[in-house]
Amino acid sequence: MKINSHTLSRATSHTMSRTMSEKLKVLLFIAPLLIPLLAFWIVPFGWSIYISFTDWDYISPEYSYVGFENYQYMIEDSYFTEALYNTFLFSLGVVIPTVMLGLGFALLLHKNFRGSQLYRAVIFSPWITPTVAVSIVWSWVFETKSGLANLLLGKVGIDPIPWLESGDTAMTVVVIVTVWQAVGWTMLFFISALNKIPESLYEASLIDGCSPLTRFIKITLPLISPTTFFLIIVNMINSVQAFDQFQILTQGGPSGSTRTLLYLFYQQAFEQYDMGPAAATSLIILAITGVLTLINTEMGKRWIYY
Amino acid sequence: MSTQSIDLPLGHDQGSEAKITANSKMIKPATPMNALMKSFASLIVKHGFLSASGLIMVFPFVWMISGSMKTNDEIFSNPLNILPDTFHWQTFVDTFESAPFGLYIMNSFSVAFFTTLIVMINSAMFAYAITQLKFKSRTVLYFIVMACYMLPGAVTYIPSYITLANMGLLDSHTGLIISNAASVFGVFYLRQVFLKVHPSLIEAARIDGAGEIKILWAIVLPQCKAALATLFLITFITNYNSYMWPSLLITSQDLNLIATGIRQFFIAEGNYGLNWSQIMAASTIAVMPLLILFIICQKTILSGIADNGVKE
Repeated sequence: MKINSHTLSRATSHTMSRTMSEKLKVLLFIAPLLIPLLAFWIVPFGWSIYISFTDWDYISPEYSYVGFENYQYMIEDSYFTEALYNTFLFSLGVVIPTVMLGLGFALLLHKNFRGSQLYRAVIFSPWITPTVAVSIVWSWVFETKSGLANLLLGKVGIDPIPWLESGDTAMTVVVIVTVWQAVGWTMLFFISALNKIPESLYEASLIDGCSPLTRFIKITLPLISPTTFFLIIVNMINSVQAFDQFQILTQGGPSGSTRTLLYLFYQQAFEQYDMGPAAATSLIILAITGVLTLINTEMGKRWIYY
Repeated sequence: MSTQSIDLPLGHDQGSEAKITANSKMIKPATPMNALMKSFASLIVKHGFLSASGLIMVFPFVWMISGSMKTNDEIFSNPLNILPDTFHWQTFVDTFESAPFGLYIMNSFSVAFFTTLIVMINSAMFAYAITQLKFKSRTVLYFIVMACYMLPGAVTYIPSYITLANMGLLDSHTGLIISNAASVFGVFYLRQVFLKVHPSLIEAARIDGAGEIKILWAIVLPQCKAALATLFLITFITNYNSYMWPSLLITSQDLNLIATGIRQFFIAEGNYGLNWSQIMAASTIAVMPLLILFIICQKTILSGIADNGVKE
């Protein structure tokens, strides 16, 4: 009996130390990522929620808890509603042409032919480059006095347009730059989706004598619809979080016509030091992103065909 | 014809598919000459359209390089000349002298390189833990990390800024690197790749008495070289190009990354709207390293983005 219990306790202590070392091992593997993730993602998230209920101004150590005041004020604030509207407008303006052009290029380029790789690379190349640098180049293209856009308009007899100085056209310029940068990336995803469509389906439709258009509507579109949906959502999330091109091209102006939610956040937090309202704005951005992501994952579960 | 159709069920997959298409083409009642003309014409239309779009896509780069070679007078008098009258390489020398662009690029390269290195290491370890080690909370852990995917930078900027201020790491490359050290994309991407590694390999190594780190280093990682290269390039490019967060953190000029540096040069007094040839030279300096990197690693980047990340 004694020996038995002795060996038993030794065995348990042995397994216990084993599970301890197992746990340590797991910890060793996850800690290097988890520590920065906690310090710069998860904890800041909770902290931001807290700040959004205060009137902290960053400089003074004192602040008071104001409850939902920041959020209430937001609804009445014309800056906020305008920014929300601009964000919506910008996302739509970017997503529709990006996805359509991306699909168009992918349809032309998904099969390998002489030169297809080069075309792909060329169309993709803007994505690689720093947005700040290319926005500077584009700001010259749309420069009112000597920019390329107005020069070309002048050739066909149209008066120069004050692209970036006018509230009617400034957003268009930012949209053009953003689409130009995003189209190649979108195209790549469409190419891989198109290449996954089984060849046999097309062969069957060929035997049935379908026209290319029916083939596109009846076979291609349904089969790439999950990818299309994914690309619409991801491009939307990216547009909600676009900043660099706005800062170079318009700084939110003229008179707020290109001030999106993220730009409003930037101005509130780092120009006016209104940390409370800024945090509240950032949480609205999060809510929009969160809803879009959830729609994406939900749809992804239902729509996967292959 | 008859021998081909007999062949069909026996032939290899690839060959038989080709034959089906060949056959179905022959069924169509088009004269070969006519069909040839038609396909030739469509080929020309296709290439014409693609070259035109390609030109539009690269035009800003061409315009930028051309502008950097011109004098300011020429920019305003002959804006539509793509080739400058004489190539003014001097603009680049002047631009390098008026702001420390070499230093900015070095800063961007080193910050992006070290961030990427840390991201590769900690993402690989984390992905290894949740795919190959057995512990209760691994699914929960994965979902927590993935939930961070939807956190926009804006939500974390204010508190992260305060945290770095408390650590005394504002205006330092270290602060920039450690605040970017966790990459949700890295975990997501490597997890998918590690799931494809055959479990029997890892089992065999464990039986042989290899430690987990050794298994990760000597067995798992060598099998995913292509994916690791892709992750490296994508993370590096993203970090090299990042602007908003670095521009908030870095205040001293000699620590600037290229994106912040070039913006300051752009808005600096006397430059805006006047000195376009130097501004274009500065843009060229900022864009070129990445375009060259892209030309060299084109295949890895293009196929890596296209083949991964769409599903799951």
